[in-house]
Amino acid sequence: MQQVSIAVDIFIQQILNGLSIASVITLIAIGVTLIFGLTGIINFAHGEFLMIGGIVTWLAVSAGLGFALAVVLAILAVGLMGYVLERGLFRFTLERPTNGFIVSLGLIVVLQHVVVLFWNPNQKSIPRPLTTVWEVGGVRIASVRVMVILITIAVVALSFRMITASRYGRALRASVEDRDTAALMGIPVRRYITGVFVLGSALAGLGGALLIALFPITPFTGGTMVMKGFAVALIGGLGNIYGAVAAGLILGIVEGFSAGYGFSQWTDAYSFVLMILVLIVRPHGLFGGTSGPRMAS
Amino acid sequence: MSLLAVSDVITGYGPTIVNRGVSLTLEKGEIVTILGPNGAGKSTLLKAIAGLIKPRAGNIAFDGADVTGLAADVMARRGVVLVPEGRKIFVDMTVEENLRLGAYARRDEAAVEADFETMLSFFPILAAKRRDRGGSLSGGQQQMLAIARGLMTRPRVLLLDEPSLGLSPLLVKEIKAIILGIGERFGASVLLVEQNAGLALAVASRGYLMQNGRIVVSGPIAELRDMSLMRELYLGGVAG
Ligand SMILES: Nc1ncnc2c1ncn2[C@@H]1O[C@H](COP(=O)(O)OP(=O)(O)O)[C@@H](O)[C@H]1O
Ligand SMILES: [Mg+2]
Repeated sequence: MQQVSIAVDIFIQQILNGLSIASVITLIAIGVTLIFGLTGIINFAHGEFLMIGGIVTWLAVSAGLGFALAVVLAILAVGLMGYVLERGLFRFTLERPTNGFIVSLGLIVVLQHVVVLFWNPNQKSIPRPLTTVWEVGGVRIASVRVMVILITIAVVALSFRMITASRYGRALRASVEDRDTAALMGIPVRRYITGVFVLGSALAGLGGALLIALFPITPFTGGTMVMKGFAVALIGGLGNIYGAVAAGLILGIVEGFSAGYGFSQWTDAYSFVLMILVLIVRPHGLFGGTSGPRMAS
Repeated sequence: MSLLAVSDVITGYGPTIVNRGVSLTLEKGEIVTILGPNGAGKSTLLKAIAGLIKPRAGNIAFDGADVTGLAADVMARRGVVLVPEGRKIFVDMTVEENLRLGAYARRDEAAVEADFETMLSFFPILAAKRRDRGGSLSGGQQQMLAIARGLMTRPRVLLLDEPSLGLSPLLVKEIKAIILGIGERFGASVLLVEQNAGLALAVASRGYLMQNGRIVVSGPIAELRDMSLMRELYLGGVAG
């Protein structure tokens, strides 16, 4: 009996751990999938956007600001960065999304090295914003992980509401489905593209702030995170944000489960194994994706 | 002054030239047709007028203002709206959402609601399928939806690209009645591109014949009907 109940405790903790990391990955995956859906651009620098969100949080907290304010700053800073990069770079690649992809590869190097140049390549961490650990029937629950999960749920729910219920969300979905025909309805598709870059970047900024609340980061943290973000976006179906969220949840449970049963050294591989399996069986992802923007001209 | 005036417009894609200097006009309240064989450049011309592609040269004037090269969303806001070839309805959205997208740029909410109700009564099939996915409609129903969605923008010029494509003769008759009603009920002038000469000749008052990217003949519809070239191209030819 004792044996079994310990196993369950560990299991619940590991699921929570898995879900908190999956939250961060889901935030990346939503941005990746939205930007791809509307522009066909696969933005591989999205992980660096996340990393910069973490760095901004670290700078703000180190300067004595509270964590909540630091999160807001990270969201604003990375959102602004997304705006500048879309207006300054990606808008010129809209006719050829492959060029956007190549631009994003270049951005990875640039962003990493800018951060290294100013703030060295070492690990950076902040004190945990919440230190309470609840003990519920022998299960130890770190409040900081619960915070990360709850913030993600709130942000995802808000994004969903915007996308399904508002006039802007309807226009966004129309633009994802068919850019030219959306324009024929009077929808300023270019502005929506900018908006999606800003929103996706802001979510990555939030993800970075939440990540550094859980773990130390380095200027090179973006790489693995973006790979997992892509895995999640692909599992859910590229361009499908419902799919991205559902796949993020699946990944969190799978990673937590496997770590709880002694395969933690493989954790980073699960998302890719899962992705490969899903793509073999369902090439458009579990929930069906878009094939990028359709253009009539 | 014409409501819409296209002058010497040249269009193309990459290295290919499609329209080689096209001029035409559309007056307020008119239904005018552009006829011509597949590949003549009719759809490309409509795309240039609607702002989906930029003309390489030439001029487009709408309501006295130069609108050459304006983007499609700006043209739609000004009142020039294309119902594209192949309908292009949003298949993942409901019929209602498709219609409401047509009103995206409008701020006159009471009038939008009134128009929405008008569409449901003008196109009863859309009322019945209001909550269905656009993709679940039949070809004819999708065409009705595409026209209704276009009308929801409150256009002053409606550009219709082959609305009869792939429809049964019965549905073509229905589309014909709808096109004839557009002017009276919605106050829009219509530029209709068709390969179905029967439909075009029945609804339009004037017509242009396009071949290899050029207008080769133009005139009142009765003259076009009698023209030997027309006969050769359509009545005894491709369209049967
Ligand atoms: N997106 C495109 N890219 C390149 N060529 C095109 C494109 N669309 C049409 N064309 C070419 O332009 C010519 C005119 O096409 P189109 O305007 O669709 O003719 P129509 O509507 O009269 O049948 C055709 O030769 C067609 O192959
Ligand atoms: Mg055509």
